[in-house]
Amino acid sequence: MSKDNGSSVVYKIFSFVVLIVLAFLFIFPLYWIITGMFKPPAAINSPTPQWWPHEFTMRNITELFSRRTAPLFGEIALRVPGAIRWMVNTVFMAVMAMILTCITAAMAGYALAKKRFIGRTLLFSLIVAAMALPKQVILVPLVREISALGLYDNIWAVILPTVGWPFGVFLMKQFSEGIPGEMIEAARIDGASELGTFTNVVVPMIKPGIGALAIFTFINSWNDYFLQLIMLTSNSNLTISLGIATMQAENSTDFGLIMAGAALAAVPIIIVFLLFQKYFTKGITMGAVKG
Amino acid sequence: MSPELRRRETISGYLFLLPSLIFFIGFVVVPMVMCVVTSFFDANMDLNTPDKFIWFNNYIELWQDPVFLKALKNTFIIVVVSVPFTCIFSLWVASAIYKMREGLLSFFRIVFYLPVVTGSVAVTVVWKWMYNNYYGIFNYLLKNTGVISKNINWLGNPQYALWCIILILLTTSVGQPIVLYVSALSNVDNSLVEAAEVDGATNMQVFWRIKWPQIMPTTLYILIITTINSFQCFALIQLLTSGGPNYATETVMYYIYYTAFKLYRFGYGNAMGVILAIFIGILSAVQFRLAREK
Amino acid sequence: MKKVLSIALALLLVLGLTAVAKPASADATEITLWTYPIGNWGNEEVVKALTDAFTAETGIAVKVEYLTYADGDDKVNTALTAKKGPDLLMEGPERLVSNWGVNGYMVNIADLFDDQDKAEINAAALAACFADPDTAYEYPLCMTAHCMAVNLNALKEAGADQFVNAETHTWTTEQFFNAVNALAAQYGLVGGIYCSGQGGDQGTRALVNNLYGGTFTNAEHTAYTWDDAKNIQALKALYDLEGIEYDPSINGGEEIANFYNGIFKMAFCWNIAQQLNPNSAGTGAGKTANGDDILFMAFPSEDGNANLQGGIWGFGIVNNGDDAKIEAAKKFIQYMADSEHTYDAVRASNFFAARSAVAGNPLDVWSDNEIMAEYTKLMPFLGDYYQVTKGWAPARTAWWNMLQQVGASDGSEDAIAAAVATYCAQANEGAK
Repeated sequence: MSKDNGSSVVYKIFSFVVLIVLAFLFIFPLYWIITGMFKPPAAINSPTPQWWPHEFTMRNITELFSRRTAPLFGEIALRVPGAIRWMVNTVFMAVMAMILTCITAAMAGYALAKKRFIGRTLLFSLIVAAMALPKQVILVPLVREISALGLYDNIWAVILPTVGWPFGVFLMKQFSEGIPGEMIEAARIDGASELGTFTNVVVPMIKPGIGALAIFTFINSWNDYFLQLIMLTSNSNLTISLGIATMQAENSTDFGLIMAGAALAAVPIIIVFLLFQKYFTKGITMGAVKG
Repeated sequence: MSPELRRRETISGYLFLLPSLIFFIGFVVVPMVMCVVTSFFDANMDLNTPDKFIWFNNYIELWQDPVFLKALKNTFIIVVVSVPFTCIFSLWVASAIYKMREGLLSFFRIVFYLPVVTGSVAVTVVWKWMYNNYYGIFNYLLKNTGVISKNINWLGNPQYALWCIILILLTTSVGQPIVLYVSALSNVDNSLVEAAEVDGATNMQVFWRIKWPQIMPTTLYILIITTINSFQCFALIQLLTSGGPNYATETVMYYIYYTAFKLYRFGYGNAMGVILAIFIGILSAVQFRLAREK
Repeated sequence: MKKVLSIALALLLVLGLTAVAKPASADATEITLWTYPIGNWGNEEVVKALTDAFTAETGIAVKVEYLTYADGDDKVNTALTAKKGPDLLMEGPERLVSNWGVNGYMVNIADLFDDQDKAEINAAALAACFADPDTAYEYPLCMTAHCMAVNLNALKEAGADQFVNAETHTWTTEQFFNAVNALAAQYGLVGGIYCSGQGGDQGTRALVNNLYGGTFTNAEHTAYTWDDAKNIQALKALYDLEGIEYDPSINGGEEIANFYNGIFKMAFCWNIAQQLNPNSAGTGAGKTANGDDILFMAFPSEDGNANLQGGIWGFGIVNNGDDAKIEAAKKFIQYMADSEHTYDAVRASNFFAARSAVAGNPLDVWSDNEIMAEYTKLMPFLGDYYQVTKGWAPARTAWWNMLQQVGASDGSEDAIAAAVATYCAQANEGAK
């Protein structure tokens, strides 16, 4: 780079400083949650912020774990603090939504990309049109339908509509477009069944795409506050997001407790994110390049 | 293609689609149809009076409802402001970091992605405190640096509240676009860039003539996901302002919820949903037409 | 690794299926109760002791869910929309009777009231539980008068304690204004008219109505009258008052938090349960977080005789179409509100009993408690219980929006009158 002159160096320094400032702003909420978890109530509500806890207390955490107990899972006898149960519900919900979405979307995406059948264009347009639809639009009918299925206030009430959301099908269709038709043709000539072709030829080729979709679905379902809000009511069926929101409504005076809850909600998923960071960025990028 | 093969393709195609279609039709299409049907009824919570078929009355009333018009306007502002801003902001961050060494690059990538994974409810808890009128950090900092002399009630002032929401929305939506732009920029054909530089092109020219066209597909993809994202902005409003003050942060998405469960007017809320769905359908069609052309 | 992962996933799937296979127990011996945080009826330990005793005696199990005022209504509304409501609901007539009751979701429990009950139960509470002479949707348990509170130490510091009568807990509008002015001179900020919505509206309603003697509804409870000139005058006076701000960013609970933390010197969302409740800072009942004394006060009015807003709480039965459960729920109501156990049930609420006697025996719940004895001084000021006016839930929403618009306006009388007219009309729309 022979063109580096004075002004571009100044610009580089300037942009670096701005980036650092922005980084602080983006890290701050998380920092505040984690330090807030250890602050006594008075310090949190103080008009002069305590940048670092003057005294550490475990009170918020013990308080969080001494609240209403619930069975660890289903109706089993082993009872745990409500917050643990919320966590179990949330993980179960996100993992289930992820698995079901990946399976159904991979199959559907392959069919839309590689099969030539009647109604294909129409179906795909329908899926694209529904992709940006906010769930609020179908709020009341969805609540009634879920209730008619006997699933109201059940964790499946949050999983099933998530699987129905068509973004995954769209993404997988884009990925499957890239599979060379000859490979499928070759498998067919070798006498492979339709399902065999799919599992042995198609799936290995779109694996990175499935990974990307898995990550998307996991995070989306984890953070889909609205769906959880309208579908779940009993304390033992709440998700962690909903649990914190309820706690906030109940104890608006007790910010420390809410911080501890927020930390419980945020830290596990951040650890997962940091561990799989590489796959994460790769998955996201793949999705876009193909899309 | 022989008719025999075509028939086989159709059958196997639909078999592959079946699992997905069950969910899609069951939890998106059917409720949507029910939504359209109820929007012609005066449906409410009262079990004693049967729902009355009232033709287009709900729709007619919508256009005379100042709150709905305000909500429509706010929704429009959120989308029109946050979508381009997210794109520009993330493009700037990406171009500033994509040539950094690996460690630093992934540090920034993680940092900007953090609010996305932290989850909107947990993040909102902190923002609520930051905006607090009495002990929030913004008022504290601005007052101590002498920028303001009197506390500003960020979420309580109709002038600021919507912008406060948009700011949080931005921090929770730039993570993915930054990752995407970083990879798009590093994939730009370097020989073209070098050739242009030899010809004496300025940085700006290099960007607009060479890099911009090459990252165009990424930009379009980002536009689409950011638009989807900004229409999903519900938790922030429900947890921070409930649409207030004085409807300053009312969006159509929140107003539907509010109409259904605070005013008990299901039919009216569904009519709103239909209108919103039509708007979004048009918007998606335009975006996809654009994407197809490029 | 892969094998372990797939086994784990398979296990999860099976567990999940068992979760869904679990049928909603059709067993009549279990009923569900959803309760709002009414004193210690929001506290699991206390409620569990009560329900366990009930279960031991009747064999009917009770599953309790705890609602909050911030999101409880939304939860009940969604559940009722989904036809999956609880069997029993514990709240006041403004929700159980005038909202869910008249909308057809509740069971008529008029048969639970015999003549002796009608004689023993407070007349205002009794009237509020009946939608019409033959239809009751609630059985009352406890009641109180809502009031406001001031930080006594701050008041003394500002030299304003002369304006309050700590003996009678009453003051006039003029004394209130003087006190606010003195506090504002000392501290700047005195209090906030919270109006972000949800619960606590009784405080702002009582404040506005009492200042110049305005009304909220007509005497027949058929129409909303808060557009009268006296209320507009009060809203304007509050707007102009230095130290008091309309704050749409906080709700009643957050106002109390600010008061506890010393940011506000007055709270308008107060009642005896708050006064008895030791705060999270652990300084004890009747104290703020830094130990200042809290003085509860009636709302100020021109002659010092306030019309306080009543709070009435009790049980209602949701109509889920299961007669066995309805019967079990009725047993629960009688056990809690009409038996020798009523003493404990009322005690748990931190409020006063809604009846003077049970089965002819006097029901004196709080004779041993000094704060409660002191608080009884406010009970004679209990005003009309107008929360049973039709369309109450939308009217309350309109009230919040009106306060928000007043706060955002320029404070001119025209602007305030316009906001009041718009939203009062909206409330009356729902009262038809």
